[in-house]
Amino acid sequence: MEEDLDNIEAFEAKDTGRKLPVGWLILFWGLIIWGVYYLVSYTPSISGWSQSKAYEDSVRK
Amino acid sequence: MSDYQYDNQTVKGFIVSSIFWGVVGILVGLLISVQMWKPEMNFPPLFTFGRLRTVHTNILAFGLGVGAIFGLSYYILMRLVKRPLLFPKLARVQLYLFNVGILLGGVTLLLGMTQSLEYAEFEWPIDIAIVILWVMFAVNVFGTIIKRREEQMYISLWYIIATVIAVAVLYIVNNLSIPASLTKSYHLFAGVNSANVEWWYGHNAVGFVFTTPILAMFYYFLPKSTGIPIFSHRLSIIAFWSLVFAYLWTGAHHLIYTPLPDWIQTLGIVFTLFLIAPSWGSVINGYYTVGSDWSKMQTNYLTKFFLMGITFYGLQTVQGPTQGLRVVSQLIHYTDWVPGHVHMGTMGWVTMTTAASIYYVIPKIYNTEIYSEKVANIHFWFVLIGQLLFSITMWITGIQQGALWKAVNPDGSLKYTFLETLTRNYPFWQMRTVAGLIFTVGMLFFIYNVYMTMRKGKALASTTA
Repeated sequence: MEEDLDNIEAFEAKDTGRKLPVGWLILFWGLIIWGVYYLVSYTPSISGWSQSKAYEDSVRK
Repeated sequence: MSDYQYDNQTVKGFIVSSIFWGVVGILVGLLISVQMWKPEMNFPPLFTFGRLRTVHTNILAFGLGVGAIFGLSYYILMRLVKRPLLFPKLARVQLYLFNVGILLGGVTLLLGMTQSLEYAEFEWPIDIAIVILWVMFAVNVFGTIIKRREEQMYISLWYIIATVIAVAVLYIVNNLSIPASLTKSYHLFAGVNSANVEWWYGHNAVGFVFTTPILAMFYYFLPKSTGIPIFSHRLSIIAFWSLVFAYLWTGAHHLIYTPLPDWIQTLGIVFTLFLIAPSWGSVINGYYTVGSDWSKMQTNYLTKFFLMGITFYGLQTVQGPTQGLRVVSQLIHYTDWVPGHVHMGTMGWVTMTTAASIYYVIPKIYNTEIYSEKVANIHFWFVLIGQLLFSITMWITGIQQGALWKAVNPDGSLKYTFLETLTRNYPFWQMRTVAGLIFTVGMLFFIYNVYMTMRKGKALASTTA
């Protein structure tokens, strides 16, 4: 049985092949910035927040 | 055109084996879904929910999933490097060992031999067999890539490489255990360390069995079957590297509100949320690709499989990270929401994409056309409706369960007993069985179509030979 070989160039669009959509870049960097914020806010040794303290607060209410 | 002979027999063997194990796993799934609301359907000691649930997950992940991954990865690999496998005989032995291993794995789980680690239940002798199997796969993949006849490595090859490396590391580390006898062992890690390693493994099994190899199929078979090139090669590469970089840090999101140190949980959540970006890189790449020629949705029956598959991948990769957030996790963790989430991924993304890839490969191997596009369309709608019904039903009951568990009286005591929260699930569990049946009927149409295509191909071959 014969089969045509794959042409690697046929897999990649020529005109848009190097594009990174702006919306996606915003998502990408936005999540990194959010990650830094979240890491700082919810790491006990940085912000003082802790799971058990948060629980006690919620019970006191 | 071609002077090489690709080893299609092994590819075919893996595909047929994976379909066989798929049938077994889905039927077991149907039975355990009934057992949830009809206890008389448990047949002790072998066929009880506790044992069959592990058979369901392991046979589908390792039998259907990994079987299809072996076969289709080899198919993609040979074509992208423009040469046959470096060790075709080794691949054949791998096929036989694979089937023996899955059979033994299933039987030992039925007999109650388990490591009690989710998705790593197989006891240590089976683990060793699986590691040998994986080394065979790795040797063939890397050997063939090193000796490749095409300089440029397409994105699918990167995803296959990531699969081979990550699964090897994860599987070996989490299965390190001290054997007490041939059928019993104890995890090398204790207490919270054991849990942390287990979910580092457990979550990345999802990442490197249900994500990276399926993306390899998606990026290869979407352009092959539609003739449309991938929108952005650069986007696919950046999404790949950020995905493999972030994935391995995310396991701790399975252990929110546990004794695992707070900072590890937080770190896990951060990487989990970040994963939305690389996942959606592939999603929008898929959409822009098909978007350059929407008419393919009508003229090529496989386009909708791939587009619907990547759509569920997109939904899955937003829902999953959201579940990782503490505020969401405290409501839905340990409820039936979670199987709803998992089944959107496995039934909506993995099975949809894999089935479409098989639809593409089988006629190519047999040098014929698909038996019936109409049957394929019926298959599509059945599995889509079955999966949606399954997932949505479980999300509703999961939220209900979580809300009932969290409800307290003014004095702080629980408002509902455990049994009260349980019995309210029954109507939803019954609906889930119906959803499973619809999905199964869809899969039967798929198998019938594949079988008839093979028969057609064989008949053709014997008349021309």
